[in-house]
Amino acid sequence: MVQKKSKTTFVWVLSAALALTLAACGNSNNEGSDTGNKDAAANTGTNTKETTAPANTSSDKKVSITFQNIYPDPAAPSYKMVHELSEQYEKEHPNIHIELDTLNTDQQKVKLKTQAASKEVPDITIVNPAAQMKPFVDAGLFAPLNDMLGQNGLKDTYQSGLLDYYSFNDKVYALPDGNNIEVVFYNKELFEQAGIAKTPTTFEEMLQDVKILKDKGITPLAIGEKDSWTGSFLFMNILLRTNGGPGFLQDVQDGKRTFEDPAFIEAVDAFQSLVQAGAFPDGATSIDATAGGNIFKSGKAAMWVIGSWETGAIDASSVSGKVGAFQFPTVNGKGDPNEFMLAPGSAFAVSANSEHLQETMDFLNFFALNLPKKQFELKNAVGIGQKVDGDLKAAGYSDLAINIAGLFNQVKGGDLAFDNTMNPATAQVHLSSIQNLFVQKVDSAQVAKEHQSAFEANK
Amino acid sequence: MKVLKVPARTIAVFILPCLLLYVCLVFIPILVSIYTGLLKWDGINQAEFVGLANFREMFLHDPVFWPSVRRTLLYAVASMLEIPLCLAMAILLNRYLRKGNTLVSIYFTPVILSVVIIGQLWKTVYNPTSMGGMLNGLLISLGLDSWTHNWLTEPKIAMFSIYLVSLWQYFGYHLLIQYTGVRNIPDELYEAARIDGADGIKADRYITFPLIVPIFKISMVLAFIGSLQAFDLVMVMTAGGPAHATDVISTVMYNNSFLSFKYGYGSSIATFLVVLCLVFTVIINFLFNKLERKFS
Repeated sequence: MVQKKSKTTFVWVLSAALALTLAACGNSNNEGSDTGNKDAAANTGTNTKETTAPANTSSDKKVSITFQNIYPDPAAPSYKMVHELSEQYEKEHPNIHIELDTLNTDQQKVKLKTQAASKEVPDITIVNPAAQMKPFVDAGLFAPLNDMLGQNGLKDTYQSGLLDYYSFNDKVYALPDGNNIEVVFYNKELFEQAGIAKTPTTFEEMLQDVKILKDKGITPLAIGEKDSWTGSFLFMNILLRTNGGPGFLQDVQDGKRTFEDPAFIEAVDAFQSLVQAGAFPDGATSIDATAGGNIFKSGKAAMWVIGSWETGAIDASSVSGKVGAFQFPTVNGKGDPNEFMLAPGSAFAVSANSEHLQETMDFLNFFALNLPKKQFELKNAVGIGQKVDGDLKAAGYSDLAINIAGLFNQVKGGDLAFDNTMNPATAQVHLSSIQNLFVQKVDSAQVAKEHQSAFEANK
Repeated sequence: MKVLKVPARTIAVFILPCLLLYVCLVFIPILVSIYTGLLKWDGINQAEFVGLANFREMFLHDPVFWPSVRRTLLYAVASMLEIPLCLAMAILLNRYLRKGNTLVSIYFTPVILSVVIIGQLWKTVYNPTSMGGMLNGLLISLGLDSWTHNWLTEPKIAMFSIYLVSLWQYFGYHLLIQYTGVRNIPDELYEAARIDGADGIKADRYITFPLIVPIFKISMVLAFIGSLQAFDLVMVMTAGGPAHATDVISTVMYNNSFLSFKYGYGSSIATFLVVLCLVFTVIINFLFNKLERKFS
């Protein structure tokens, strides 16, 4: 009797547990959709009112804006920039809380993609220009920013033409954090040690210097090719030269030319000659981009072909004061050194489904307006996409920064990185194909063919 | 022997919570994934139903896919080959050492370390000489300069370097399982065998092996299925590079889904992986059931 009773109780307890499990199962959908937005979930009670009421009347309600960003390094100027501007805005608007979701670049890309799949993009997120942001725009995930750009003269702060990389059908969908060019940084001390008097202006001279440096036991070119975009960025600069100017990828996309074009094959061969000369560190493909940069920043490599966004970081490293920069040389006598690989920066986009669209727009307007000033203060104004007032020299910027700023004045045009131009699937084939050149000698015609068939398969 | 009679209803009540969780968290996602595999979808925009086109592409045209399957299977076989070694070690430990447990715990240490830490650790071991790689440093100090390699970046060697790390990491795990199995065999059996004149290898042949077969099977299945799904170690150490030389099925799936924005195609690879795991589990079970029957 007693036994039977306890058994029944037990069954009841289990049934309760079962019901709970069921409830958990049923809820999982709702919970999943709120992941980008923890605080929004906590505020659900007030949210409905806020979205209907005009923004300024709800000033006493607490609003939380999620700001996904890719500035995780506390030592870097951009980290300080984001934190200081957010704090300043919170101070001026006590009802707004800026929730910073800080990730490194690769993590952020994957996280955003997952969030996009469930249509739950954070209020502000980071995207790359052109082809890389197109799928998101096509899916209607981002809010057009044209109206907001008109407020407080924000639009006029951007360099002319820059916003085009973030525009689709005449609507701007993201605001860039920078506008960079690819340059060759070099360590003057190591050049001197190797007895190289002047920086190379042709690819042949560069190869020569590579051999001299190699003989002296100095790594000629720093690179971290585990993140395969680094090699591609350098390769594309060679292609920009062998093609005699920008527009190769555009021609391919327009069907005017193919990857099996002589210009492309010539670029592959030139790149291979660099690899064969031992220009890159041993095991380059196992070094990630940050570690690759550190080879240069710690004074172990003589040159580093990378975007001008590294200027501030180089100034903050142990080689500061010893570094200069020059244009990527001509290749086989072709190309114009004043044409650069252009790198319009990663950009801030606003979620079209944001619960606090108005507040988010207001904040981003403030943020973008004050970004150039703050970057200037933090000595990180070289390569930003907005006009900056102020004299670099008087503000105490380094010679390197002034040198780079000078190179900006010479820009006569150029190309965007491969993965900003081509669709992601083709870009992935390209990236691993270039990575392969680092580890084995490959027939350049084969490389071209690989590119072409990937392009055709993913058109 | 009295067998406990339990009504079917009670059994259902006990099983249901777990079953429901399992269905919600495992089974339904698998079905969704199989369906997604039939779509041409970038994961964000409108999907297009393309039937088996993804599978056709995967089996017939993708130059990366089959090599990755081969690497994955080799991975699985390599991790199975380690288990007899674990068993031998377990038997020796059990026979000759009184403090076997301590030793097994020490061997177990790598298992509890995070794979990310293991990956980073071995990356520094495998680094090229110029970056102070320990393995190359050791070879040079032994005068074997010509044996040095870029262990993780030479396409022919890279995959084997990763296999080795994985074997090293899970050695303790399988050793623990085997050791526990061996310990559970009652000593009386061995004593009786000794009286009959069976000792050492002979005792193992007629007592240890037949009794350990089920445990051995568990190790085998775990090792095999575990390495079919290998992902984290490869991701940390090489991310499938250089140029796909260390891609396994799951990294190909990941790269397609998240980097190439081919979510549907990635899902069809996932489907293939599920089927592969299923098929091999059935095969291994079948083989071992035969073996068990033979011994009993």
